[in-house]
Amino acid sequence: MLLEEKYFKLVRMHEEGENIIFQVELLPDCQVYQGHFPGNPICPGVCNIEMLRECVGIYLQNKVYISSIKQCRLTAIATPSICPELDIEVHLEETETGYTVSGKIQDKNTIYLEYKGNMTKKLA
Amino acid sequence: MIVVDIKRLIPQRSPILMVDQVDDVREQTAQTSLAIRPDNYFIDEDGKLSEPGLIEHIAQSASAFAGYKALEAGASQPPIGYIGEIKKFHCSCRPSVGTVLHTTVTMGPEVAGVTILNGEVRVGDEIVASTQMKIFVKPE
Repeated sequence: MLLEEKYFKLVRMHEEGENIIFQVELLPDCQVYQGHFPGNPICPGVCNIEMLRECVGIYLQNKVYISSIKQCRLTAIATPSICPELDIEVHLEETETGYTVSGKIQDKNTIYLEYKGNMTKKLA
Repeated sequence: MIVVDIKRLIPQRSPILMVDQVDDVREQTAQTSLAIRPDNYFIDEDGKLSEPGLIEHIAQSASAFAGYKALEAGASQPPIGYIGEIKKFHCSCRPSVGTVLHTTVTMGPEVAGVTILNGEVRVGDEIVASTQMKIFVKPE
């Protein structure tokens, strides 16, 4: 995995009705913050998308790839000090080639990311 | 090719510097490039650039374009931009280590600090990824 145990740590994963909830901790010492931005650590939005992809893969016990994103809204700035613990809530629907994935990343007070797209089991 | 150090155009730094250079700037479009090196932060276990790496590359290409315009207008620091929204992203192929990405970003008008843009990433003649994006630039 690209970011698991570097950028985030998966603390707990459970199903709640039709959704899967991943509780994660952001790791403030991740080297990505040296560059994003120097002296001003802010979570790159794309790292949160990658974290969502990796969590789906962990749940499915199989790698998945992002073939398309219908819409992904990054609604608030996340940093490892603003939101050290996050919940990723995901809903999966199986398709012919993979899954339609909708999800959000949030804590008690704030939604940071809302996501709708397709992930496939294979991508060249 | 435009000879301006990329670090003067965007605020991102290693390990998440995802544009090598701006190759051309027109009124509303810019061409950028990035060589995929083995130490790229977004390389997956199979030696391919992950899809979020492609998205970051497009976002930083747009940021470099904005940085170029800001520099031209006399700014001393490149502006910090954030991705506000990604729409209609498609990825047909994850580029391998050793390939060079050639990217075109086309910027729409800026309204209240928000710019809508289109980005297209090519390897050779093949479009490997494309997206629409909203970038929010933090006012100084």
